[in-house]
Amino acid sequence: MKESKRMFLHYISGIIILVTGFIHLIANNLPDIGTIIHESALYPVNLIMLLSALTYHMLNGVRVILIELIPGRCAAKAITWIMFLVGIALYIYGLQVFLNLFWPVE
Amino acid sequence: MSVDKEIEVRFKIFRFNPKIEFAPSWQEYKVKVNRSTTVLDALLKIKEEQDPTLAIRYSCRQAVCGSCGMMINDKQMLACFTRVLELGSDVIKVAPLKNYRIIKDLVTDFNELFQKEKQVKPYIIRHDLEELLSPTGTYKQTEDELLRYIQFADCIECGMCNSACPVSATDPLYLGPMILNRAYRFISDPRDLGFEQRLKVIDSEHGCWRCHFAASCSAVCPKGVDPAKAIQLLRRALVKKAILGISSSKKVELIPMEHIKGKLELPRGWR
Ligand code: SF4
Ligand code: SF4
Ligand code: FES
Repeated sequence: MKESKRMFLHYISGIIILVTGFIHLIANNLPDIGTIIHESALYPVNLIMLLSALTYHMLNGVRVILIELIPGRCAAKAITWIMFLVGIALYIYGLQVFLNLFWPVE
Repeated sequence: MSVDKEIEVRFKIFRFNPKIEFAPSWQEYKVKVNRSTTVLDALLKIKEEQDPTLAIRYSCRQAVCGSCGMMINDKQMLACFTRVLELGSDVIKVAPLKNYRIIKDLVTDFNELFQKEKQVKPYIIRHDLEELLSPTGTYKQTEDELLRYIQFADCIECGMCNSACPVSATDPLYLGPMILNRAYRFISDPRDLGFEQRLKVIDSEHGCWRCHFAASCSAVCPKGVDPAKAIQLLRRALVKKAILGISSSKKVELIPMEHIKGKLELPRGWR
């Protein structure tokens, strides 16, 4: 993927974090609206979107910092791949936590 | 103060010859300066009257060639464009530009910088070779189109923006503000068709996305070029291309001109 696409996604995921994070805060802190959100499909969908955006935004941020600090073109490629694999692992782990939370296996 | 009235100022100058010395040192000189003396004048006076071994690079003496950039009182400045007394300091500290290899004393090595510049093809790229070889007209350019890039074309390649850039300091592969500004200058020129050819370098891991937009580069530019703005505009062009598929290369109209008709003699090996 081109760097411009990666960074565009970085900005978009930043906006998604703001919106979904806000909904998450409302859901957990305002009893009236919170209960409605908790009981609808919005709550799990919002959490999964927050998880996706956070994982991408956080790991891409770390990738950018590491690329700046560790010189070398090969290093940049290796860092990108490592972050990609760490991202997949974290995402699978997060999804599994949510699945257990919302649809627990009896 | 009359122009002729002279004041003695102390110069603390960075000295280092990496070929024979292990570590740099600071050497002090006293120079009499008047209201019009520039830092470059003072350095040349030191070289002529006190220490001929002092190494300096300069050429035009009028802020045009971009050779005499150095750290003056810890800030990137052109020595020929900075009057000693306007610094308002009794001691003037002069050192080579940061973020470059030192050749000797105040002379830094720009070779790596110019190698990076080659990668972004800093010239107008066109595909109508026949027209270039046998011109029949001139490419139309409106005033608005000219104003879109003229500020960025004012760069004198002094390299001071790269020296002030915090990213260039940590990432030696980062293209840096000077080169990215050069790339944008040509990309935004309506006559240029080379946007796609430059993408690989400017849209890479060490290209324009590494800029933190602190704008230290624009703050030190002696020509008001604003490379930080060029980088932001470059990013806009890249996103337009990556997300919407819109290229920054435009079609330019050719205005026929009878009197310039004729065959150009190009050097051998150009075709
Ligand atoms: S704006 Fe970008 S290029 Fe300019 S100094 Fe800051 S990081 Fe470097
Ligand atoms: S942009 Fe300004 S500071 Fe940078 S090289 Fe050009 S003239 Fe010098
Ligand atoms: S000597 Fe040319 S810019 Fe200073």
